[in-house]
Amino acid sequence: MIELLNVSKEYEGGVKALDGITLSFGEGEVVVLKGMSGSGKSSMLSLIAGLSKPTEGEVIVDTKHISKLADHFATGFRRENIGMIFQKYNLIADLSVKENILLPLVPLNLKGGELEKRLSKELKQFNLLDKKDTQVKKLSGGEQQRCAIARANINNPKIILADEPTANLDEKLSLEFIESLREMKSEKRTIIISTHDPLFFDLDFVDRVIEVRHGKVL
Amino acid sequence: MNRFINFYLLSYSVGSLKREKYKNIFVFLVMSLLVALLASTFFLSNAMKSEYNTLIDTYPDIVLQNQKAGVNSTIASSIADKVLLLDGVQNSEARVYGSYYFNRADRKLNIVGINMFAPSLSPFINILMKKYSLDDGQMLVSRGAKALLSKYYYKEYFNFVKSDGSLKKMQIVGTFQENNKLPQPNTLVMLKSDARKIFDYKEGEARDIAIDVANADEVAFIARKIEQLYPSMKVILKEDLRVKYENIYNLRSGFFLTIFIIAFFTFFIIIYDKLSGLNSEKRREIGVLKAIGWRVGDVLNAKLYEGAILSLSAYLTGIFLAFVYVYLLDAPLLKNIFLNNYNLLKNYTINFSVDYETLALLFFLSVPIYIAATVIPSWKIATLDADEVMR
Ligand SMILES: Nc1ncnc2c1ncn2[C@@H]1O[C@H](COP(=O)(O)OP(=O)(O)O)[C@@H](O)[C@H]1O
Ligand SMILES: [Mg+2]
Repeated sequence: MIELLNVSKEYEGGVKALDGITLSFGEGEVVVLKGMSGSGKSSMLSLIAGLSKPTEGEVIVDTKHISKLADHFATGFRRENIGMIFQKYNLIADLSVKENILLPLVPLNLKGGELEKRLSKELKQFNLLDKKDTQVKKLSGGEQQRCAIARANINNPKIILADEPTANLDEKLSLEFIESLREMKSEKRTIIISTHDPLFFDLDFVDRVIEVRHGKVL
Repeated sequence: MNRFINFYLLSYSVGSLKREKYKNIFVFLVMSLLVALLASTFFLSNAMKSEYNTLIDTYPDIVLQNQKAGVNSTIASSIADKVLLLDGVQNSEARVYGSYYFNRADRKLNIVGINMFAPSLSPFINILMKKYSLDDGQMLVSRGAKALLSKYYYKEYFNFVKSDGSLKKMQIVGTFQENNKLPQPNTLVMLKSDARKIFDYKEGEARDIAIDVANADEVAFIARKIEQLYPSMKVILKEDLRVKYENIYNLRSGFFLTIFIIAFFTFFIIIYDKLSGLNSEKRREIGVLKAIGWRVGDVLNAKLYEGAILSLSAYLTGIFLAFVYVYLLDAPLLKNIFLNNYNLLKNYTINFSVDYETLALLFFLSVPIYIAATVIPSWKIATLDADEVMR
C-alpha cells in the first residue's frame, strides 16, 4: 500500500538523512520505526506524507506517485489520506480544542451538521468532551496530545503518521496514548510510528518494528 | 455548502485577528484615522474647488478697469458701447457696484447696480430682474442684508450717507436668497442711477466694463485689441482669475501635502512591518496548516480574509468619520484653514456630494496594499516545504 523505492533524501548542506531505502507497508499494518535521534525517521514520515520530496527514488501510495506530485496535489492527497501526530503536538495554542480539531476540515467547507457529527465522535473517542471550548495552551500535556490525535483522526485518514508521539509524555500518559492507537488500528487505519520509546517495542498490536540507522534500514 | 465564501475559513481569519487583538486594533485605529483625515481634506478641497469654479463661471470673460496713478478709478460707461462694436464681443455692460461701509454695524454692504432696460451679464441678477421691477429709490436686499439691517431697526428702508454728508433714503421692496452664484454676503440690488449717487459717481461713469465674448478661443485676441484701444486701462481675464484662485488653493494644499506625507509614512511603516516577515510562531502555524492538509491557496485565502476584514472595516470607518466631520459637523478647524484669507467663498456652506474620485483613490491606496502586505509574507512561507517551516 505504501512503497518506498530506493529513496534517498539529502538536505541542503549535504546531510544525507535517508540513503537508498526500499520499504513497503501493508494496509492496516501498524509499524514502529525505531532509531536514535538523527537517524532519519522524521524525514521518512515527511516523504510519505508528501511534505517534502526525495532527492532520489520514489514514494508510492495506492499507485499514486506521491514524490512526483506538485505541492497542490500532494496537499490534496494528504488531506484525504493522512493524519499526522507530532512530538510537539503542533497545535495552535490560542485556539480552543474544538477549533484545533476542526482545522483540517476548514478548507473542505463541509455542511455544519456533518462537521458537528465528526467533531463529537472525536471528542468522545479521545475523552475531550468537557474541554472542547478550552484554549489549548491551558491543557495538560496528555490532553494536548489527545487533541492532536483527534485532529489527525478527524478527516478519517487511511494512514496515521506519528512522529515521536510520546516524547513529551510520562509513562502513564504514554500508555494511554498507546491505547488510543490500538483503537485506531481497530478502525483499519495504517499506522506508522517513529519513536525511540521502548514502550512501543513489544506491543501485541504492532505488526513490525523496523530499525533505522544513519538513513538506512537494518 | 457555499462555494463562494467559506465561512469556516472566514471564522478562522477572524480568530487570527482576535489572537493579535492589540496590534490589530492599533492598525485599525491608525488606518481609519488616516483615511478619515485624508478623506475630509479631499472632500472639502474638492467641494470648494468646484464651488469657486461654478462661481467663476458666472464672471464675465473680460473686465476692463480704468486706472489713475495706478489706482482703480471710474470708467466712462460709453466705452461699453464702443467695445460692443468689436468683432466677436457678444455683450458688454458698464457695471456700477461696490461696497458701502455701514459703520454702526461695522460691516460692509455690497451694492449691485442694475438697469431695468438692459440685461446684466450676471445670470443671477437677470433672474432677479424677471421677478422684480425697481424704481428710483427702491432696492432689493439679500436675506443676510435684511437680517443685518433689521438688527439696526431698518425694516422698511435704509439711509445711506453720501460723501457730502447728506442722506440717501432707499426703500426695501423685496428680499432674495443668497446662493453660490452670488457669494458676497449682505447684497443690495438697486438701479445704477441710485448706486451712482451713493458712490458719488458722475452721470455716465461706471466702476468697470464687463465684456462677454462669443467664442472662448477669441478671448485672448479680443483682450489684446481692447488693450491696444485703451492702453492706460487694465484688462482682466476670467481665466486669469481662475488661475489666481487656484494658486491660492494650491498653496493651501501644499500645507496639507505635509500632512499627507506624514500619513502615508505612517501607513507604510505598518506595511513595511508586515512585509518584513512573520515571527517563528506564525511560520510554524502555516507549516502545521499545510501538514494537516491546507493547500497554499487555503492559507492565502485565510490571509486575504484577514487583511480584507481589517482594511475594509478601517477604510469604511474612516470614510464614515469623514462624512460626519465634513457634512454633518461642517468641518470645524479644517474649513477655517481653507477659508482663511480666502475671500472668494465668504458665505460658503459645504454642499453634500459624494466625491467618488476621492473614495476610489483612498480605497486603492489602503485596502489592496494592506491585503497584499498581509498575504505576501504568508505566501512566501506557504510555498516552502512544510517540514522545513515546522522545524
Ligand atoms: N530540513 C532539514 N535541513 C537540514 N538538515 C535536516 C533537515 N531535516 C533533518 N535534517 C538532518 O537530517 C538528519 C535526519 O533527521 P531526522 O529525519 O529528523 O531524524 P530523526 O527524526 O530520526 O531524528 C539529521 O542529521 C538532521 O539534522
Ligand atoms: Mg525526528
